[in-house]
Amino acid sequence: MSLVEKYPKEVKQILSKYPPEHKRSAVMPLLFLAQREEGYITKAGMQDIGKILDITETEVASVVGFYTLYHDAKAGKYRVQICNDLPCALRGADKFLEELCGNVGIKVGETTADGLVTFETVTCLAACDKAPMFQTQGPDGINYHENMTINKAMEVIAGLKYAGKEVK
Amino acid sequence: MSKQVTLTIDGKQITAPEGALIVDAAKMAGIDIPVFCHHPKLEPVGMCRMCLVEIGRPMRDRATGQIVMENGAPKIQFMPKLETSCTNRVEEGLVVLTQSEKANAGQKSTVEFLLTSHPLDCPVCDKGGECPLQNLTMAHGSSQSRFIYDEKLHLEKQVPLSELIYLDRERCIQCARCIRFQDEVAGDSVIGFDERGRSTQIVSFSEPGFDSVFSGNTTDICPVGALTTADFRFGARPWELDAQASVCSQCPVGCNTTLNTRREAKAGGNIVIKRVMPRQNEEVNEIWLCDKGRFAYHYTESKKRLTKPLTRTGKDRKVNRVSWEAATKLAGENFLKAKKNFVVLASGRLANEDLFNLKTLADQFGGKAVLYSHIGGGELTAQVGVSAGTNLGVLGSGSTIVVVASNLYEEAPIWYLRVKQAAERGATLIVMNPRETKLDKYASFVERYDYGQEIKSVQELTKKGKLGDAFMKAQNAIIIYGSEGLGVAGSASLATACAKALNETEHVGKANNGLIGVWERANDQGAWEMGFKPEDDLAAALKGKVVYIAGADPVGDDPKLAKALESADFVVVQDILENATTEIADVVLPAQTHVEREGTFTSGERRVQRFYPAVAVVGDARADYAITAQIAKHMNFIMQSANANIVFEILAETLKPFEGLTYEKLSNVRVQLPMIGRGDMYYGGTTYENTHGLGVHLSAGATRGETVRIPRAQKEALPKVKDTDLLAVPVSKLYHRGATIESAQLLNQRIGKTTVSMNFDTAEQWGVVEGAQVKVSFDGVSGEAKVKIDETVSAGVMLVPRGMGLAIREPAVAKVKL
Repeated sequence: MSLVEKYPKEVKQILSKYPPEHKRSAVMPLLFLAQREEGYITKAGMQDIGKILDITETEVASVVGFYTLYHDAKAGKYRVQICNDLPCALRGADKFLEELCGNVGIKVGETTADGLVTFETVTCLAACDKAPMFQTQGPDGINYHENMTINKAMEVIAGLKYAGKEVK
Repeated sequence: MSKQVTLTIDGKQITAPEGALIVDAAKMAGIDIPVFCHHPKLEPVGMCRMCLVEIGRPMRDRATGQIVMENGAPKIQFMPKLETSCTNRVEEGLVVLTQSEKANAGQKSTVEFLLTSHPLDCPVCDKGGECPLQNLTMAHGSSQSRFIYDEKLHLEKQVPLSELIYLDRERCIQCARCIRFQDEVAGDSVIGFDERGRSTQIVSFSEPGFDSVFSGNTTDICPVGALTTADFRFGARPWELDAQASVCSQCPVGCNTTLNTRREAKAGGNIVIKRVMPRQNEEVNEIWLCDKGRFAYHYTESKKRLTKPLTRTGKDRKVNRVSWEAATKLAGENFLKAKKNFVVLASGRLANEDLFNLKTLADQFGGKAVLYSHIGGGELTAQVGVSAGTNLGVLGSGSTIVVVASNLYEEAPIWYLRVKQAAERGATLIVMNPRETKLDKYASFVERYDYGQEIKSVQELTKKGKLGDAFMKAQNAIIIYGSEGLGVAGSASLATACAKALNETEHVGKANNGLIGVWERANDQGAWEMGFKPEDDLAAALKGKVVYIAGADPVGDDPKLAKALESADFVVVQDILENATTEIADVVLPAQTHVEREGTFTSGERRVQRFYPAVAVVGDARADYAITAQIAKHMNFIMQSANANIVFEILAETLKPFEGLTYEKLSNVRVQLPMIGRGDMYYGGTTYENTHGLGVHLSAGATRGETVRIPRAQKEALPKVKDTDLLAVPVSKLYHRGATIESAQLLNQRIGKTTVSMNFDTAEQWGVVEGAQVKVSFDGVSGEAKVKIDETVSAGVMLVPRGMGLAIREPAVAKVKL
């Protein structure tokens, strides 16, 4: 099913925000829409958006490639994005990450066996003073989790796993 | 002329048009500011930081707004940091320092940065020797890098963006020239950046990859060896190459080209063409070339080239290798015997000189000179064609361009590009086609008509209404007509309607006004000027005749013509490649391709342009004009043939439109802007400077004050169709199985299989589906094709591509079967 068939109301509403001659500007909200269900944007999704906006698939893919919050590959339902940039590392983010990986049993880039949680490292989320920190990206949007300890982080992850199953 | 401003660059006072970029103004004044991302044909972006300079502006008193004076001159205030000269425009009194210590340091650091991830593989890089990065590193770079060699990024080195263009990810410096060219110039946004920062890389997601007929141009403007053509990669080093001026032989646009050649052991010590490059002609192709023009040259070196004269004699049609003298004698004797039954069938593959001699021969002996073409109307382009001074590149606001019955993107890509740009500059573009074409996006008015109704649409141009207003009130008006869905008669009628509209509104006989035909071959316009005309019913015209065929393969193209020639009395073929017609001919004469000889082509815009010999003659082939003269000699008729120049002189004396033209005049050049080529490839790319002639426009009948004679429009040549019938219509495709394209193996994938297109409902009605292999039959022709569902095709219509094995000369009622 194409994006328009699946979300006719949403697509119409998004397009209504932009003047018709600049409808290509709607690429960002449409990409979030396309990403909503699967947590990533499929090739077919990019083609759909290209068709809706009269731009090429390559142009859509370039936007997906540029922004770190758009994904073009399948991963867990929730992406746990841990910042390990320099200021965070100085506050122990590297050690935190290592321990977290050990506790959950996956490495960065991997997904838990139940398909619910994927670990990713990211660069600067503008919360250096509250490191170690991470954000979660999932069906409910993006949430920050700051001043983390391993225990607190494990609680958050348990919550995600619970929510992931419930929301299904 | 635009307002000029005065500024100082490196102590030199220069004037430049207001609004010019500093980097371009400097270039015009002979000062080179190094650039990578800047290109004079692209919008400024300031991405690469190579053009950093110090810019000082006259200081103004904040209170009074007056310029502050110091020692009798305005006080110059320099910015604390370097600025990019490719994004700053010239201003009155500007002071620019491109060579100061600070500027030099900035440029040096930029090169150092660019090289942090650039591999050191110049010795195996195709660009080495003509590489802006290499050259600018020598000029502005540091001999040592402060970065750690082991930290260089290593990326994929052979990424096919398409089967034609390869990307070396390591070498790319992310200047985006290629992406911007595709966006801004070509209008095919099929390559883009993926990722960001240090991971940024070029990708293409189109199907097929890098789906643009202009893709080769990106390799010219790529300032490093990141983009290379599959055709030339690892082919030769630039410094081994010779350059010879030529003209593209693939379509009526007449793009100026440069043939890069070298002597090669692989070719038995012969000189071979290594690549075809664009040659700047701002009035024709600017600095661009389509992929067909760039890659299709391989036919000139095909194994199928005819090398020796042959005859077929006796009942068993024994093939004899004979001397030129014997072959031409046999031909001449039979032509003499033919009397009124003599037919000369020639195509626009031949040069003006060839066609002139052929026409002279036909006239002398009462023969008929027939043009091998499916498009009519050339006698009108000779009368009301565009006149001297015409340049699509300057048309903008106040001009109207009408494109009717033509998909320019497929038929004449560079015209597509030029018309698109004219529309973007403000020209009114009216596109009239039975189906959607790529040009529609840029049109002010899109007029959709049913196949067979094109004349009605053209008539709208001279009636009250929005189209009429746009056309009649235009300062300049050009109509470009083609043969979408039309045969000879249909396109001739269309041309008549177009010529009438132009003539009635006085859009004839002056520059930037008139009619342009989208012909099939490079010199069809030239053939019309000589007096060649296509036949409505070519088969009937050939039956039982003595036929002299030059540059055409009627037997291979159309079974009906094959049958007609079977019953021809005597057939002489003069051509470059073996084909089905040379298989049945009584005399076969090997001709030279345009890269082996001198000559001229007349483009669709009626510009006569010279081409020059670049490689050695293949076998015993001779120039077409000389072959004709040799045959004539055996008919006791003396014709000039010593060289092309002499033939052209006589041609210019004989034919009014050519009056006063000489080879010398054709090779004149003028200063062209932007400055491209020369030693500074960093600025405009590797396109060649034009040193061998911009060509000269023929005068049109209307310009010479002759009365314009427009025949009455004939009836539209559409067969009667019932609702249940399927109408097959011919359409043109850029890459088809023509002899001059098919030899380029690289293009095979783009030529593809024979495909007929129809919309979903029509396909359903005929019980076929997307991808189905079907039997197609119409008008006594039948063959196989794959079905493509295309919703832009109107109901009850099937598009049949020309030159793909299904001989379609005009619209016909068809049947398809699984």
